[in-house]
Amino acid sequence: MASRHRREASVAAAILLLLAALAVVAPGFFVRENLSDLLLANVPVLLIAIGATLVILTGEIDISVGSVFAICGVVAGLAAHLGLPMLVIALAVCTAGAILGAANGALVAYVGLPSIVVTLATLVAWRDALRWATQGAWIQDLPPAFQWLGLPQSTYPFVACGIALILQVTVSWTLRNVAAGRAVYATGSDADAARLAGFDTALVKLTVFAVGGSLTGLAALLNAVRFNQIPSNAGLGLEMKVIAAVVVGGAAIRGGRGTLAGTLLGVTLLAIVGPALVFVGVSAYWERAIQGAIILSAVAADAFRGWRASLPPQAPAVAQS
Amino acid sequence: MACVSAASGPGGGAELSMRQINRWTNGEWILVLALIAEVAVFSAIARNFFTVANFFEVMRLSIELGLLAVALTPVIISGGIDLSVGAMMGLSAVLFGAASRDWQVGIPAAMAVALAAGCAGGGLNAVLVSRLDIPPLIVTLGSLSLFRGIAEGLTRGAVNYTDFPRGFLALGQGYLWGVIPAQLPLFVAIVAAYAVMLHRSVIGRALYAIGFTAAGARYAGIPVRRRVGLVYLLSGLMASVAAIVYVAHLGQARSDAGTGYELDAITAVVLGGTSVFGGRGTLWGTLLGLFALTVLRNGLQLAALPSELAGVMTGALLLATIASDRVRSHARVEARPDLEEIDVKNSQVAVLCGAVIAGSLIVAGTNVWLVRSIAGPSRAPAAGAPASAGRRPVIAMMPKAKGDPYFISCRAGAEEAARELGVDLIWDGPTSLDAARQNELVENWITRKVDVIAVAVENRGGISSVLRKARDRGIRVLTWDADAEADARDFFVNQATPEGIANTLTDEAARLLGNTGDFAIITGALSAANQNEWIANIKKRLAEKYPNLKLATIRPSDDDRDKAFAETQTILRVYPSVKLVMAISAPAVPGSAEAVRQARRTDVSVIGLSLPNINKPYVHGGVVQAVILWNTRDLGYLTVLAGAKLAENAFAPGARTIDAGRLGTLEVRGSEIILGAPLLMNKANIDKYDF
Repeated sequence: MASRHRREASVAAAILLLLAALAVVAPGFFVRENLSDLLLANVPVLLIAIGATLVILTGEIDISVGSVFAICGVVAGLAAHLGLPMLVIALAVCTAGAILGAANGALVAYVGLPSIVVTLATLVAWRDALRWATQGAWIQDLPPAFQWLGLPQSTYPFVACGIALILQVTVSWTLRNVAAGRAVYATGSDADAARLAGFDTALVKLTVFAVGGSLTGLAALLNAVRFNQIPSNAGLGLEMKVIAAVVVGGAAIRGGRGTLAGTLLGVTLLAIVGPALVFVGVSAYWERAIQGAIILSAVAADAFRGWRASLPPQAPAVAQS
Repeated sequence: MACVSAASGPGGGAELSMRQINRWTNGEWILVLALIAEVAVFSAIARNFFTVANFFEVMRLSIELGLLAVALTPVIISGGIDLSVGAMMGLSAVLFGAASRDWQVGIPAAMAVALAAGCAGGGLNAVLVSRLDIPPLIVTLGSLSLFRGIAEGLTRGAVNYTDFPRGFLALGQGYLWGVIPAQLPLFVAIVAAYAVMLHRSVIGRALYAIGFTAAGARYAGIPVRRRVGLVYLLSGLMASVAAIVYVAHLGQARSDAGTGYELDAITAVVLGGTSVFGGRGTLWGTLLGLFALTVLRNGLQLAALPSELAGVMTGALLLATIASDRVRSHARVEARPDLEEIDVKNSQVAVLCGAVIAGSLIVAGTNVWLVRSIAGPSRAPAAGAPASAGRRPVIAMMPKAKGDPYFISCRAGAEEAARELGVDLIWDGPTSLDAARQNELVENWITRKVDVIAVAVENRGGISSVLRKARDRGIRVLTWDADAEADARDFFVNQATPEGIANTLTDEAARLLGNTGDFAIITGALSAANQNEWIANIKKRLAEKYPNLKLATIRPSDDDRDKAFAETQTILRVYPSVKLVMAISAPAVPGSAEAVRQARRTDVSVIGLSLPNINKPYVHGGVVQAVILWNTRDLGYLTVLAGAKLAENAFAPGARTIDAGRLGTLEVRGSEIILGAPLLMNKANIDKYDF
């Protein structure tokens, strides 16, 4: 058991180390407001990362999330302009996200195209299409009830965390205990074996893309309600951030292995590294290099231990094109 | 499609392609068709597209990207990926610049430094991927941040190496025998070397085998680790070669060189029929993919269609190519292995043709629709247009970035002037800050033979040589928003000097803080040239006049509202003494303001350089004390107006004033047209402005 969660353990250790260092050098980091700000900023990232984990568990990848995020933000704004109630807006963005995700999923699952190519194409195409449609204009004059989902600012954090917590726990539980969840792992471990065992692997893949899309839509809404205007170029580079969080959290990029707990840890690590460097007083100019070094050393340390412990390394699972 | 997916099943297709890798079996013919279609369409609708000069220009513009794509081909064939090539380009460019300028080692030694850096970076990837067996996606995602971060750290984002010797720049800008770009022979040699390695050597065969199945390759006695390591090493090396060519081409080395090139390079490779799962693909396919991509961009620009369309159409083309390739490989699984590819079922041919036709219809449809929607407003003859003899002058105007609200509001003024004066306005630019793309556009406008080019310059040194070339060809050149070198343009439409902006901002900050206290700056990207110049001037002003004002920190926002928000939140906590946030990027001001508002820090003021509309709620709410800007609409208006007058020879060097239509008579100082003093917008006057 311990060896199965090796990566999760080493990420957790890295987080604890970072927090311990911060406690000594910059206790100001642990002020309640700072933690709450960090939490609110990263709830959307976590939601997208949950979706991305599902996709990666099936052995696929979705790099179009940043563009879907931007489109869903604009959809939320347009829906709010129509004066729709918040629940309908939420439904609308989730549907929009699910449709965009399902489009990717259909091309991957039923036409059999490699997911990295499909989502690369949609990443570029949707981003430019949105840019063209909005001409870069922001959505302004949102109804006052839009910000904080129409709740008081003080209660909103609890609602956002509640949503994230419920999703994290239910999806995690489903993955472990429900046949549909096991199907995700089975598909990612060996799609042919899963098919022979009676799973509809194409449907599984379509579903994870659609679920990932709707989570991205929900994330876009939860991000948009923190402000009173919506830029049309949101989410640039989001895909890299999310994928980094998922793989740092131990999900195997080739599918079949990984947990949502690991993803939560990965999101947490990446969320605190940036602000932590500011608190410690590192100049902004070196921040990116240090972040890259931390990611690389986290995965390298993990791989190095595995390499020393092991057997001749495993052959990569070769998917057929 | 049912009959097609029913035939799915792994096996035969890949075995076949192992046998036929050296022939055009990966759907290259579809790309050839697409390329022919592109050439045909653009020859019809784009001016001067089908010329020898343009052919070589496209070649030149393809070379940096081409080097990366060529190096990526074996990586992807061996079943890997390298996302770090663009970042490696940035790092090599910066090291090359530092070596040749700061360390004074001479150009050949500087090249060696850059190449060594490429080897080191590629070697790092190679070790992590082939020795530690970490998935290449993760490794190169990490090294992407690492390389780009080191480049930013070394230059502190700001240093831009220019002033390279002429002889070196000729490598990127010169011509052999008057037509052939100087870097083309290098590219051809590298492509030839790669072709031999990939298609004619044992190493190449080994790479295909590894990509097909790594375990099988190992059992067959192939040194898998060494071969895989080699391709990553070479990929790093090629990235630094690309960096050197890039520096010679643009005449500048900055830490943001090559940003986003990795995705373009992967697109070219995949478009060329290389399987992302490895084991299949050819170098010729990559070249075809590369040219399909660059010809599309070039043609769209020559046809004056918006560059956003390039993304949409690239995506469509990518899906169409891959999908048809997929259909074909299904077809071949059913067909007997020894039969030629012509033996496909009729139904499948029909599906394939349907897909291709549908794809091209979408592309053609968007084209027509676009031509209409674009041509509609700007080409309609304006009432009361001065009837100049013959055709209407064409003014091509370029912002630094198209999506930026600042430039969008400039565009409104530019279109107003174009309607009023009856000129044709082409408005296009990079979708994000990108010096290389600006040069590319100017080159294409020269080919298109527009009458006036007006550029908001992102990189002074880099674009000046292209602008000089435009002037040599008789095109009138204006700069606006930010200037090029003085001899590279006729006039600079000067909205405000960097000093003027910096002084106004600093004075306002000092007034709000009572001449003493701490403040923080939120900038755009760390490498943004304008912002860095303003910061330098702000520091100078502080030293001269306000010794008690302290600049606590400078944080980047990357022109992203949400990032500015998060950075401001952190600043407010880490530096509780900061009583004023100065945001000098348009989307950053509302981001900072929202952070201050949510933190309920009424003791902190926000000022900055931004647009009135996105800041009105905060100015009225008392969070933002002042927004400083010139009237952007007027800036666009004045630029087009000056361009039109230049084109009609109604305005020439030496003039002291210019009659600027609704703006009245404006002063001309030397070769600079002065728009006027910056606006200081606050609660009292902000509602007067709408842009």
